[in-house]
Amino acid sequence: MLSEAETKLLGIMMMVIMLGMGASLTFRDFLIAFKKPKGVLVGLLCQYGIMPFLGYLLAVSLGLSPALAVGIILIACMPGGTTSNIFTYFSKGALALSIMMTSVSTLVAVAAVPSLIAFYTKSAGVSGEFAIPAANVAQVLVVLLVPTVIGMILRKTNPNIGATIELIGSLLGVCVILFLIGSWVPRNYQLLLSTPWPVFFAAIGLGLFGMLLGYWLAQLLKQDNNRSRTISLETGIQNGPLAVLIVTLTFKDETQQQVLLIPVLYSLFIVLTSSVITLWYRRNATQEALARDSAKVGRAVSA
Amino acid sequence: MTADMPIYDTRPWLPAYGNAIARELPPPRYRNLAELAARACERFANKKAFTAVVPNGMNGTLTYRQVGELSDAFAGYLREVCKLQAGDRVAVQLPNSLTYPVVALGVFKAGCVLVNTNPLYTASEMVHQFNDSGAKVLVIVDMFADKLAEVIPKTGIQRVVLSGVSEMFPAIPNAIVRGVQKVWSKVLPPIPQLSIPVERIKAALASGKAHQSKAAGYWTDLPSSAVAALQYTGGTTGVSKGAMLTHANLMSNVDMVLAMGKSHHGSDECVLTALPLYHIFAFTANLLTFLELGGHNILIPSPRPVQNLQRAIENYPITWITGVNTLFNGLMNEEWFTAFPPKHLKAAIAGGTALHHAVAERWQKITGTRIAEGFGLTECSPVVTFNTLVGDVRTDSIGVPVPGTEVRLVNDDGVPVPHGEAGELIVRGPQVMQGYWNRPEETASILKDGWLFTGDVAVMDADGYFKIVDRKKDLVLVSGFNVYPNEIEDALAKMDAVLEAAVVGVPDANSGESVRAYVVKNPEFVSELTKDMVVAHCKSLLTDYKIPKSVIFRNELPKSPIGKILRKDLKAEVKAEFNKK
Repeated sequence: MLSEAETKLLGIMMMVIMLGMGASLTFRDFLIAFKKPKGVLVGLLCQYGIMPFLGYLLAVSLGLSPALAVGIILIACMPGGTTSNIFTYFSKGALALSIMMTSVSTLVAVAAVPSLIAFYTKSAGVSGEFAIPAANVAQVLVVLLVPTVIGMILRKTNPNIGATIELIGSLLGVCVILFLIGSWVPRNYQLLLSTPWPVFFAAIGLGLFGMLLGYWLAQLLKQDNNRSRTISLETGIQNGPLAVLIVTLTFKDETQQQVLLIPVLYSLFIVLTSSVITLWYRRNATQEALARDSAKVGRAVSA
Repeated sequence: MTADMPIYDTRPWLPAYGNAIARELPPPRYRNLAELAARACERFANKKAFTAVVPNGMNGTLTYRQVGELSDAFAGYLREVCKLQAGDRVAVQLPNSLTYPVVALGVFKAGCVLVNTNPLYTASEMVHQFNDSGAKVLVIVDMFADKLAEVIPKTGIQRVVLSGVSEMFPAIPNAIVRGVQKVWSKVLPPIPQLSIPVERIKAALASGKAHQSKAAGYWTDLPSSAVAALQYTGGTTGVSKGAMLTHANLMSNVDMVLAMGKSHHGSDECVLTALPLYHIFAFTANLLTFLELGGHNILIPSPRPVQNLQRAIENYPITWITGVNTLFNGLMNEEWFTAFPPKHLKAAIAGGTALHHAVAERWQKITGTRIAEGFGLTECSPVVTFNTLVGDVRTDSIGVPVPGTEVRLVNDDGVPVPHGEAGELIVRGPQVMQGYWNRPEETASILKDGWLFTGDVAVMDADGYFKIVDRKKDLVLVSGFNVYPNEIEDALAKMDAVLEAAVVGVPDANSGESVRAYVVKNPEFVSELTKDMVVAHCKSLLTDYKIPKSVIFRNELPKSPIGKILRKDLKAEVKAEFNKK
């Protein structure tokens, strides 16, 4: 479990990350997204349709204990993580779409996430001490919207500070994961060794299946390959640190440690799995570009 | 009008000026560009002069007072530390950045000659330009410092000054931009060991600061007839040569540009400078003109991809944009631009290459402002003709001659052609260069009796508006018929499946020459595009001898730094191809 001071530090780091995300946005971005909502709508469907259901399915089918089930449903209901933008960039994806999906899903989170968590935890038969009060979740999300808006204002009024914070925010996204690894793993070494395989399967599978299903749904809804890959990454990569923060603010002691297990494992493994997927997507993007080129060369020869 | 007086000499375009444009140029106000700069920096001392914006929105700003002081210091550095004399050449190889205006104006204030150099030049191109101009000092962006090891020993350069893209930014943004360049994009090479002194611009300015007060002394007696810049141009003949532009040439062209835009000038203009300042178009139209106006220049170090302009356009109240067809087209393909076009925009200025009809129309629709297309060339500082910003919109026209400029259309013998016929456009006026540096023969072939022969074929309509038909040297001669590549390219551009096209002539056993089209397919267009489709399309618009006989599909076309399609490169390919056969 995290100490009081570590929880506070995590909270502050989250604030800075959201400040950075805000600084990567303008109010115009939202207006543009509302004018042409299809890509973002498909993304939202993946984010809040596929992922929570997938979390629920994994929890039930693997027969996870209530504490673990809450953990996986919580992480599955989270909005997109800011690190997805970095992975999208590396995979030569549609960066603007990725940023819009992250920010719109964060905005929508205030309304959607508390009810989704309540619905799926109840469906999974979790109640009593393991339930997460919806008010708690909503409160955290609202509190995080404040730095987001401040970030947006900063970018407008002082682009130098805005860009600096944007950069610090995205670096901190990686730092938080390192911080979690550093502070949590050594103390829970024994726990990790005794953790049964279904827990690992759930923590790793959530991200992987999420990316797979996100890609399929995007293709089904007639998004091109490039946008599908972007939506896929965005769907699979959740805001892990936010889930950890909600857990540490809601649960104490032993319970906290149990609930935290899957969100932390997810956060650790998603970096690895999405790196591999990113490399693969990048190769696909390059091959598609080359295929387009050789098609033209073929015509040139015949011409 | 007398019978033997060519129609062009009656200036039939004057009515198009209306009340908005002065018919004659004002008398010169300054002795030289150094004085123009010094006066502007006094008059507008507290206003923002230049802001350089990198893609993530980080930026640095210099006020007019700072530009004045720093350029005085750089002049002091050149004269006292580098020991240069008036007339010595200084090569400047910088992308748009805050260092550029400081250095360029510093060179003028030192009475030296500016040699604008493209930062993307290869080592051999640099060697040619530095040796041809006899440059003694080089100011170069540090991103390309690795070329110095190869270049410097082969030239007469005695001193090198390095500058970064984010030079003169506040400390933290500067550190971040440099950090990203070094660690992330790895574009900062180590500085090679050279046998001549190398220092950074900060150090150069610091050592020049002691001599800052001497700057006025360097230029007070500098006549306007002195050469201010050697502006290199390849033309179509290949070897790059330096057009000698005097202080008077450039100052008169500034006045011409000011006259054409006067109706749209207020007290707080903000111009987006996405085109490189080392190119004569942005050098005159953005740097010098808006300096004289007291405007705020937003400098973009790297405008490609066009997304790089987003934060600059969002964060500053842009009133003017200068660009080329490809830039305007690129902007209109960006969602953030079309959804929120700059709301303070008054007008856009296009040059460099023909502005497509469709682009101009769409621009007007999206931004509610006009793109005024002009025509110019390096040898004319560069502006020769311009569309007016008032009155009717004339697309497909390069407009009317700017005040103080004589234009004629002539045949191969130099005799003016009758009204309505196509002829080579020739120019006489205060903006016309003195000749090519150290190249009397090439000068004599292009400058005759003060008339500059542009090599562009044009026609004039009844109102005195000109239209470029083509480059004289690009004409394709098919079985004795003149084919103007522009006409075929326009026809090709009308196909939705075609992104861009270029047309050149190739040797042909039957017809002497035949038309060849190089076509870039539009990636937005899903279905196949075949040679037959291209030919069928052309047949619906053009007569037989103009139809391309061969069609080559390409991923991209060779382009100049400002995005002009280079037919000469394609012609060189054709030449190599047929020599082999």
